[in-house]
Amino acid sequence: MRVIENVVTLSNAPIPQDADNVYFIQVDQTKCEECGECENHCATGAIQPKDGNDGPRTVADPATCVNCGQCLVNCPYGAIYEGVSFVDEIFNALKDPDTVVVSMPAPAVRYGLGEPFGYPIGTYVGGKMFAALRKLGFDYIWDNQMTADVTIMEEGTELLHRLTGKIKKPLPQFTSCCPGWIKFMETFYPELSENVSTCKSPIGMLGPLSKTYGAEVTKARPEKIYTVSIMPCVAKKYEGLRTEMSDSGFRDIDATITTRELAYMIKKAGIDFKSLPDEEPDFDLGDSTGAATIFGNSGGVMEAALRYAYEVVSGKKLNDPDIKAVRSHKGVKAATINVPKFGDLEVCVVSGLANAIPILEEVKQGKSKYHFIEVMTCPGGCVNGGGQPLFPDVREASLLRSIIARINRRFNMRKMG
Amino acid sequence: MKEIIKVTRRQFVKIAGYTVGAALYSWNFAKFTYAAVKDNIATRQESVYVQDTKMKVRKSQDSPAVKKIYKDFLHEPCGHMSHHLLHTHYVDRSARVKQLKAKGLKLKV
Repeated sequence: MRVIENVVTLSNAPIPQDADNVYFIQVDQTKCEECGECENHCATGAIQPKDGNDGPRTVADPATCVNCGQCLVNCPYGAIYEGVSFVDEIFNALKDPDTVVVSMPAPAVRYGLGEPFGYPIGTYVGGKMFAALRKLGFDYIWDNQMTADVTIMEEGTELLHRLTGKIKKPLPQFTSCCPGWIKFMETFYPELSENVSTCKSPIGMLGPLSKTYGAEVTKARPEKIYTVSIMPCVAKKYEGLRTEMSDSGFRDIDATITTRELAYMIKKAGIDFKSLPDEEPDFDLGDSTGAATIFGNSGGVMEAALRYAYEVVSGKKLNDPDIKAVRSHKGVKAATINVPKFGDLEVCVVSGLANAIPILEEVKQGKSKYHFIEVMTCPGGCVNGGGQPLFPDVREASLLRSIIARINRRFNMRKMG
Repeated sequence: MKEIIKVTRRQFVKIAGYTVGAALYSWNFAKFTYAAVKDNIATRQESVYVQDTKMKVRKSQDSPAVKKIYKDFLHEPCGHMSHHLLHTHYVDRSARVKQLKAKGLKLKV
């Protein structure tokens, strides 16, 4: 157990077969002030009082939790901890000269990683991130943004196939990038699984591509490749452990860490992050586009997919790639996009998992008018993911909130007699 | 009238000033922290869109690395290779939650 960027984290790297019984997120009963803030951020209600109406909160069962970590990043008292960490395993892999360790950072990581090193909130530190990964000893600096582009090719094509009836799958098509949403769908709306794109998430694609295409390009032995997924997300740890993620013939994703854990590793290795030069990733699985970097925002996958679908369907060049109608900060945003040779494409962007429920009910009843729906579990998208560095004011406000929480607690105690 | 506490005019103004100040400060503090959490998300989002406009290529289909991987390895989107490596299936995980609910666990969904 240790504190990683203000979050208590257990040093526990489970095997895939155990993933369903591990608490990725749990509450420390001794630190919980019973303020109930976590419940406001939980879409499933997994986090709740341990006994009855009040008392310290707890995650009831791993099956009910989608591992998004929104409770954790919003807890004013630091009472919620992470139950899984691959940091030690990665440090060991980096030390071993035979292991080919490759990095796979998600788009949103580079917009949060600067913060633990004193940069203002949201500073883009992509170049320094690649330099830091090289310095840490990663053999190949591959980038999840590259497979975000591949995701668009696959998911965009799949959407076109559904629209034209080339494949017999229902509409609307849901995006499949967000692991919190996918576990939510599998647990609470399994009847909609045919509507969800069969595409893996970008990291689900980069894992197997690293051990096949990547091995070919670099002439490395695939069994020696160790893939490290670096995510703004706790739920990606569960995704990396899914038993079906082994299409390369090996474990597709060997380890998953958060933005916070990467910052911790950089600090632990004694690297002076601010003085690093800006570097580039390695081309074959590292080169990417603007359409890939916007995956980190709510509405980003939608916008990137539209940039592709528009050109394929209409045969015309899309002169202005900015499709601001689908950019979303929170809640539900619907838009109608006119695509020449197709007509009006009805799209919807859901930011925050709880907001998806009315939309899902609509789809279930067959009343949905949409063609394509994006769902992101975290409000605002991955940039606000549960694995990102905490915003400084979350814990700063704790004095005020602590007083309110104590009063509430006293009040509740009295009420219960 | 019997005086309980002796305060001069000047002292009264001083105390009133402090009280109003404290009230405004705490109100603003609460408001500011609330607003700051919201804005922080927007700040990160804004940074993403700025970076998007700075990229040399802005559409996935125009990426040199994407063109290369489809030419050399994947051949076509949603083709045979893609289905083997890049597509997946979903698992029905509802049974365990149904069991928990039957035992009396209350959830939001």
